[in-house]
Amino acid sequence: MKKQFKQAAEFISKNCTADDYSFFIYDTDTQDTRYAQNRITQNMTGTKLNINLNVAFGNKTGSATVNSFEESSLKDMIKTAETIAKMNKPDPEYVTSASKAEYPVVNNVAEGTEKCTIDDIVKMIQKVIDNAKSKNAFVSGLMTRTISDFYTSTKNGFEGFDRSSSFSNSMTMSDNVNKEVKVSRSVKDFNEFPIDKEIEELNFRFDTLSEPKAIEKGTYNVILRPQAVLNFFSFLLYFYDRRSADYKITPFHDSIGKEIFGKDFSIISTFSDPSITASPFSADGIIGKDIEWIKNGVLKNLFTNRSYAKKIGVEPNLMANLIISGGDTDEKEMMKKVDNGIIINNFWYIRNVSTRKGELTGLTRDGMYYFENGEIKHSVVNLRFNEMAIEVTKRILALSKEEQLTDNVRVPSMLIKDFTFVDTTTF
Amino acid sequence: MDHLSVAIDHAKSLGADYADIRIQKTQKEVIFLMDLSLKNTSKNVTHGYGIRIFKNGAWGFAHSYIFTADAVKKTVEEAFKTAKFSAMINKDDPLRLAPERGYIDSYSTKVLIDPLKVSLKEKVDLMMEVNQTMLNYEKIKRATFFLECYNDDKYFASTLGSRIHSNITYVYPRITATAVNDSDSQSRSFDDGGYAAGWEHIKKMNLIEHADKIAEQAIMKLEADEPGEIRRRDLILDPGHLGLTMHESVGHPTELDRVLRWEADMAGVSFATPEKLGNYQYGSEIVNFVGDNTLPFGLATAGYDDDGVPGQKWYIIKDGILNEYGTTRDSQPFLNDGMSRGCCRATNYFDFPINRIPNLYLEPGKKPLSPQELIADTEDGIYIEGRGSFSIDQHRVNFQFGGDMFWEIKNGKKVRPLKNVLYKSSNPEFWNSCDAICDDRYWKDFGVTNCGKGQPMQASRMTHGASTARFKNIRVGGSK
Repeated sequence: MKKQFKQAAEFISKNCTADDYSFFIYDTDTQDTRYAQNRITQNMTGTKLNINLNVAFGNKTGSATVNSFEESSLKDMIKTAETIAKMNKPDPEYVTSASKAEYPVVNNVAEGTEKCTIDDIVKMIQKVIDNAKSKNAFVSGLMTRTISDFYTSTKNGFEGFDRSSSFSNSMTMSDNVNKEVKVSRSVKDFNEFPIDKEIEELNFRFDTLSEPKAIEKGTYNVILRPQAVLNFFSFLLYFYDRRSADYKITPFHDSIGKEIFGKDFSIISTFSDPSITASPFSADGIIGKDIEWIKNGVLKNLFTNRSYAKKIGVEPNLMANLIISGGDTDEKEMMKKVDNGIIINNFWYIRNVSTRKGELTGLTRDGMYYFENGEIKHSVVNLRFNEMAIEVTKRILALSKEEQLTDNVRVPSMLIKDFTFVDTTTF
Repeated sequence: MDHLSVAIDHAKSLGADYADIRIQKTQKEVIFLMDLSLKNTSKNVTHGYGIRIFKNGAWGFAHSYIFTADAVKKTVEEAFKTAKFSAMINKDDPLRLAPERGYIDSYSTKVLIDPLKVSLKEKVDLMMEVNQTMLNYEKIKRATFFLECYNDDKYFASTLGSRIHSNITYVYPRITATAVNDSDSQSRSFDDGGYAAGWEHIKKMNLIEHADKIAEQAIMKLEADEPGEIRRRDLILDPGHLGLTMHESVGHPTELDRVLRWEADMAGVSFATPEKLGNYQYGSEIVNFVGDNTLPFGLATAGYDDDGVPGQKWYIIKDGILNEYGTTRDSQPFLNDGMSRGCCRATNYFDFPINRIPNLYLEPGKKPLSPQELIADTEDGIYIEGRGSFSIDQHRVNFQFGGDMFWEIKNGKKVRPLKNVLYKSSNPEFWNSCDAICDDRYWKDFGVTNCGKGQPMQASRMTHGASTARFKNIRVGGSK
């Protein structure tokens, strides 16, 4: 841990006069290189710093953020947060800061990523661009190396430190006419980033796309590839707040312990798998642990922050990572399980249509294919869906093995019956 | 020597073809009140500098928050190094920069009462009263008030000789009431977006009156009918709704970087390609869209953009025809040898400036026309107020938008409220169906403060504006 973190902690401890406080430092060293149309368009490097202090006098609270370790900045931050708190109205739901607690020991950082240089990144991008040129195509994307240090401390004794690394690449290849495909992935360790495999997958998707044919709106069996699964069900989490459920604002009122999803649908967070990073604690001192959010269709837990957890007398929780449980059916077998259907690479611009019903809308993106009798027949013009996220899980016919999409997310492909498309598009 | 000069002199000594530095101090006060409980009362200060270097047809960018001459020089060297690495890739196909000259100037938002100096007590007292007003209604189960007061103080210098200071302030209040019964939950907001002005803008708003109105309408929506099957009807859209519609279906498609497919991996591309300039019927003849980074109280009005290009006013769509794009110094040369339209903006000091939507508005109708007259002239339609669910494809052609309040129009009258209304349309169908726009008495602006774009994502701001307008024969109905 950087000695500046401890120095800042000591300074705050010595100078903050509030009854209670908690603070965190988020320090991120990033190299972001954007490329588009086979050239680099942006190349950015630097370290971002965020120091946030929350204080309370009684149940009157205030918060301030600065981005400098200078004592004058820390002084300003303390003074600002304390001034806000003293002038503020009492918060009836205020909870005191977290107490000393043990958190899971994790290793979220990889030496390979720490040692990754701009030279390494540019060489990898050159490979990506050379591949696109060899196919008379154009590639655009973002390659990012990140090393993050996260430190938090409270007046009541909680202290946590986590160092994490991530290397990611997202790339879209297009013929600049009507073929456009994308793959993206992030890993903890740059040395384990499978760039050749990623290029191979990009090429496979590009070569598989043909002149897209328009199909009618309606219900279709769909195979959602992992990126589409992640994007779709990420929006389920939009409704996932315990307070909103209890207030009958979202679909989960009085649903904990009940089988409201399809029985093949499970979401967990885990610390037992070293290949996937996990947040050991949150900025306000919630300890990460293995959690079943949804198990075999039964809603087990909803997001609950510290103040609401105290109000209703439950433990607060934290989504340390996201794993949607998979099965053992590969894509070829999925295609044989139904007469016909559509393979969807990705969704785009998903938005909430009805908060109470958990209804979502969005469009397909990055290529999709119509299949029949177990074989891909042709590409398909994009479609718009409107679907109830909970109901979709009841129509899961098969799951593939889980695939690690990012350093902290693993999801399978899904075969889903009767997915509802409400509109066609023009491309 | 000041940090601006240190950076520019060092960049020149290294051999930069072009360089600039932005020293930016951003102060943001956020207060979020939910059900009379203060969930967030914070003041954030972000202070640092970003340095861009252009070398051999490629950009390098580095940023830092350490203000010493050595740190500035080191940051210049980092930017120079990344530019040289970028140039290795770009050697066969370099970027170019549109011509520009240097300026020595300053610009400040006109502020009567500095919102960051208004006491917290005054702010929270107002917010509590507004919150309580909504919670006085039995069926309102959640009431929120989000308030953001923002100031951006920026010094810009470039190797063209520019020295520009800008000081930008805005305020943004948003209140929401959520009504709940056993079978449904419905929200209604008062949300005009952000406004480049001081606290005097908040004082002019009658927020208590708005709180009563939105609480009543949220409850009204609970009991309202849904619109039924999708069928073609006329839409009358208020300025608060049109702000988002034009943002998504006109603003983004006419950003030149999207047209050039630079955003293909994330935000997407554009159907409004260069061969359509001057001949593509984007909208009906009464549709005129103006890009205007000189607009008073506009969120993108800052004197100059982050290329050091002055704010300008130009037609993006003229008499319905696609006329021009919003451009930057590095995108403009792909179109012609002209000058940039000044649409290059970064959000924070650590962000690389990118092509952004300018302040963009629909010109009011030239003939006298009020919303009431427009409703009286409509046989079968739906009147939509405010923003709701919105989703548009990555080429910016096909879209589905909701709203915040809906009224059925039959035979020239608003006959009943509706809920969960969506319309589906596309470019160019939608803007070509515009057959009436109310006059300038009814023109109203709407500020966007969270326009997400770029990798890594930046949330930018700009202002839109319109008078209430009618769109004929649009597919509108429920979600199926």
